[in-house]
Amino acid sequence: MPTAWVLDEDDALELLAFLITAARCQVDEAAEYGPMRLLIAAHRLAESIAPRCSEETRTLVSGTMQQMPLLAVPRDDRDGYVARLDDLCRAVAEHLTVRYEAGTAQA
Amino acid sequence: MTNPVLDAIRSRRVVRAMTAEPVARSTIEQILDAGRWASTAGNRHLQRFVVTDHPATLRVLRMVSPGMIQRPTAAITICVDRAAAARYGYAPTAGGLFVDVGTAAATLMLATHSLGIGAGPVSSFSTAAVGVVLGLPDGWSPQLILCLGHAAPTQPPPFSPRRSLRWQDLTMWVPTDR
Repeated sequence: MPTAWVLDEDDALELLAFLITAARCQVDEAAEYGPMRLLIAAHRLAESIAPRCSEETRTLVSGTMQQMPLLAVPRDDRDGYVARLDDLCRAVAEHLTVRYEAGTAQA
Repeated sequence: MTNPVLDAIRSRRVVRAMTAEPVARSTIEQILDAGRWASTAGNRHLQRFVVTDHPATLRVLRMVSPGMIQRPTAAITICVDRAAAARYGYAPTAGGLFVDVGTAAATLMLATHSLGIGAGPVSSFSTAAVGVVLGLPDGWSPQLILCLGHAAPTQPPPFSPRRSLRWQDLTMWVPTDR
């Protein structure tokens, strides 16, 4: 399946800088910030690719993903936090399964 | 009878979403002028304020600051002048230097709020990268970035549900039976 370029150099550099500097920051920061930083990176990636990606991927990154609050941390309601992340993981897996026809019998 | 200082302390909030409307240079200067009145240990004033309202610099500053959720239209980076601190005999890890950074930040945030501008402190950034982006002089160590801007109508939810803390929850009287 041919795929379109969805990230330009500026967007990619911004994400690259975020990930590298977040790695450095995390050495000194509270452990609960780890998943938050990764989700912020995911949100930024989603924001960057949404205008150019397929309709199906856009539904994932602009709809389902937005249900996970940007600044959520596993602090007061750890079970609820994990449940929401699991829901998001399932939604990603469902999208990937359909997109790449995973799990279907090969002829 | 209302007390405007206490009202300002109680109504200030961290602003994590800002509009693109710039903050006037004269307003930023008023905020900086308030900052110089912040108390410092021994009245030594070892903090330095590095300011930018340059869009390209702000963009790159945000790229190397994972804690910067907002897109500020100006930013004040509070640095410690470590060379000056060393001349006073401070060890590099002396806690007092960082207390003064916090005091300066609190003063700047209250001044900002009183002028109708939003402020958000950011401490999650690469100090090495910020030094490069801002061209900091040798020995100036960036400790906190104060983002400035006009608050957007909608703010992201806070890190965790807001707790209604009372001052008693944070305080212990000594002796305890009085």
